[in-house]
Amino acid sequence: MNTKLKVSEISKIYPGCIANDKISLEFGSGKIYALLGENGAGKSTLVKILSGVVKPDEGEVFLNDESIKLNSPLDAKKNNIGMVFQHFNLFETLSVFENLSIDSDKKDKDLRVIVKDILKKYSFKIDLDIPVLNLSAGQKQKVEIIRCLIRNPKILIMDEPTSVLTEQETDDLFFSLKQFSKDGILIIYITHKLKEVLSLCDEVAVMRKGKVVSVSNTIDEKIESLANKMVGENLNTIKKKINNFKNSEEILKISNLNFKSDDPYETNLNNLNLSLKKGECLGIAGISGNGQNELFQILSGEIITEGTSIMFRNKEIGKLNPRERREYLMAFSPEDRISQAAVPELKIYENVALNNFKSSNFFEKGLVNEKKIKEHSKKILSNFSVNTNNVELKSQFLSGGNLQKLIIGRELITSPELLVCFNPTWGLDVGAINYIHETLIQINEQGKSSILISTDNDELLKLSDRICVIYKGKLSKIMNANTVTAEKLGILMGGGSID
Amino acid sequence: MSFDLNFIGILIGAIMASSVPLILAASGELITERSGVLNLGVEGMMIIGAISGFALMVVTDNLFFAVIGSMLSGLIISVIFGLLTQSLLTNHVATGLALTIFGIGMSAMIGKNFVGIPGKEFPLLFVNLKESIPFLGPIFFGHSIILYFAFGLPFLTNYFLKKTKTGLIIRAVGDSPTSASNQGINVTLVRYSCILYGGAMCGLAGAYLSLIYTPQWIENMTGGRGWIALALVVFATWSPIKVLIGALIFGGITILQLHMQAVGLRIPVQLLSALPYIMTIIVLVVISRDSRKIKLNTPTSLGQIFYKEK
Repeated sequence: MNTKLKVSEISKIYPGCIANDKISLEFGSGKIYALLGENGAGKSTLVKILSGVVKPDEGEVFLNDESIKLNSPLDAKKNNIGMVFQHFNLFETLSVFENLSIDSDKKDKDLRVIVKDILKKYSFKIDLDIPVLNLSAGQKQKVEIIRCLIRNPKILIMDEPTSVLTEQETDDLFFSLKQFSKDGILIIYITHKLKEVLSLCDEVAVMRKGKVVSVSNTIDEKIESLANKMVGENLNTIKKKINNFKNSEEILKISNLNFKSDDPYETNLNNLNLSLKKGECLGIAGISGNGQNELFQILSGEIITEGTSIMFRNKEIGKLNPRERREYLMAFSPEDRISQAAVPELKIYENVALNNFKSSNFFEKGLVNEKKIKEHSKKILSNFSVNTNNVELKSQFLSGGNLQKLIIGRELITSPELLVCFNPTWGLDVGAINYIHETLIQINEQGKSSILISTDNDELLKLSDRICVIYKGKLSKIMNANTVTAEKLGILMGGGSID
Repeated sequence: MSFDLNFIGILIGAIMASSVPLILAASGELITERSGVLNLGVEGMMIIGAISGFALMVVTDNLFFAVIGSMLSGLIISVIFGLLTQSLLTNHVATGLALTIFGIGMSAMIGKNFVGIPGKEFPLLFVNLKESIPFLGPIFFGHSIILYFAFGLPFLTNYFLKKTKTGLIIRAVGDSPTSASNQGINVTLVRYSCILYGGAMCGLAGAYLSLIYTPQWIENMTGGRGWIALALVVFATWSPIKVLIGALIFGGITILQLHMQAVGLRIPVQLLSALPYIMTIIVLVVISRDSRKIKLNTPTSLGQIFYKEK
């Protein structure tokens, strides 16, 4: 049976922002539709409306020419609309099967049969009786998909599904999605990745600032044309010149780094060795959860490990805490901007002051020198083009991109010799990503070094001089970036070996 | 020898009786916490249960009404907590503390007229068997129906949480209310129900104290048992069976140290009085030290305020 989904004049207004502005779109089964746009373009809001999580202020949704009311996620389910959210809606401490059975009205025994059939049909390999927290991101996503498939959905909505997947897992996902599409399921695919639109989807609707700006067949589009529609301006692509660092001075050397954790959520690190030259950018690739967090914390001094030697500018710093390391001109930009890099409830200048060291004179005789900090903060805001000059603003009101600029700025304004950053552009829009990338290239050009831990392979290939992959707490051999391809990285990230 | 053995049986029976209020309150609170709600008002709900049970017994002269009434009053006072934390989104910890203070004050006010009134004898079951079988008799027989209920409750709770759909939903809500809500589960309703159930169990625990354990009304008669119950839930890492073990250890050492004091051992009384608290914590920490299991049992969203996107 053919499915036709139509949204008509959908509007949703949040205080201070029009998330959806009279959106009208039509979809039909047998095709894969892309909904493309930057962060904040309104894709997620539209998807939340279609899945019943958010109610629109105006507009209607039609399924097969009948108006349907989507007041709750249950309504979406009743209308056979399945939804896989960007942030998984799974219960980490429950088993896979419990996760599946929770919203099913079938008996456990019957459900198990259905689930096993689905596993077989699409060759998914998942143990149903282990807790979800033991699964990889790709497997978790499969659980989400199975949860939708159990209900024989007519429509499947995927919200930025590849942000946590490896290349291999992405390929698997695309294969499955094409299978679903052949089976007559209408697929709506939300993304800001242009390549995926071209390789997967049949039609693409581009959203910008809450409006649909274009609907077209993907055959007629190219990466550049889509990018320009998405951003609304012409983007200049940046490219890094890869340098040869044979004769440069070595700035950082880590030998025999081992880390064993008592926490089942953490990854153990096994005999890590790496070195870094002046002006060089070392990229560390890997699927999240393979030890990047632990490695970052060890580099920054949040975790001190026994017996590890970290030589930085010919000094042993392995036992120093983060503040002492900063005094030796290291700088850090953690993955989680909100909880690790900044305190969202504090004002911008207070966040800047958190990163104090003795030389900055932010504090005198135990008192805060507010004037000095504010001047310093203003300098950061203007030097790093943060979109505000109000240092009294609470950090939580900055957008992701602006907050990241503030954090990078705070780290770089003291001209450190080494910047360690972890997923610096995660979840940012194209404009902000470009800015951060330019900044990172700039510091290398100024002869400063950087370590870039990232799950985004394009970013790594663009910025790194040398790249290695972390897998289950072990580092692959370190390769020159010009000899590495995304495919090679993908194989290493999945635990395979090359050459 | 048979006299000594019988004495040990009686001792064990007494230990069981003293752990009943802890088991009831902790089992109730465990369900509440498994849904992600941290209700620190256990002590307050218990003492309200104690006074209302006793007062109803005096007024109606009917123990059945008294017991049911105590549960209802625990439930009603927990409605206040539910309204504040689930509908008005107040902080769980502050609201719970306020509830305890409110409960203690309220019970003292109501209780003024009931001080010094003797309690009524609560019917005990199988009294004949208790006296005719040495050792095992006093352990298994001659208790109130509430004690038997209390000792079955942790096993029921365990089965309920692990094997039933409703139990699964409660665990899911405690794990991630946002995910649960996106799955179409009514998080607020689930949490309300768990809060009310916890309130009713705390009310019953209070009634056990004022109607059976020491049948009279004394101001502040719960004496911190609510706090112990709260601590038991946490130290038992949200496992109902471990709550039972913890409650028995606490009750056991409380009784034993009283006997030790009576015998006149040369150990400072203060140290003996502190012994139950210390030992319970040590034992529960030791039996619950598997960090993997702790992660799996801990309600991840405990104490977090949940509000739905509109």
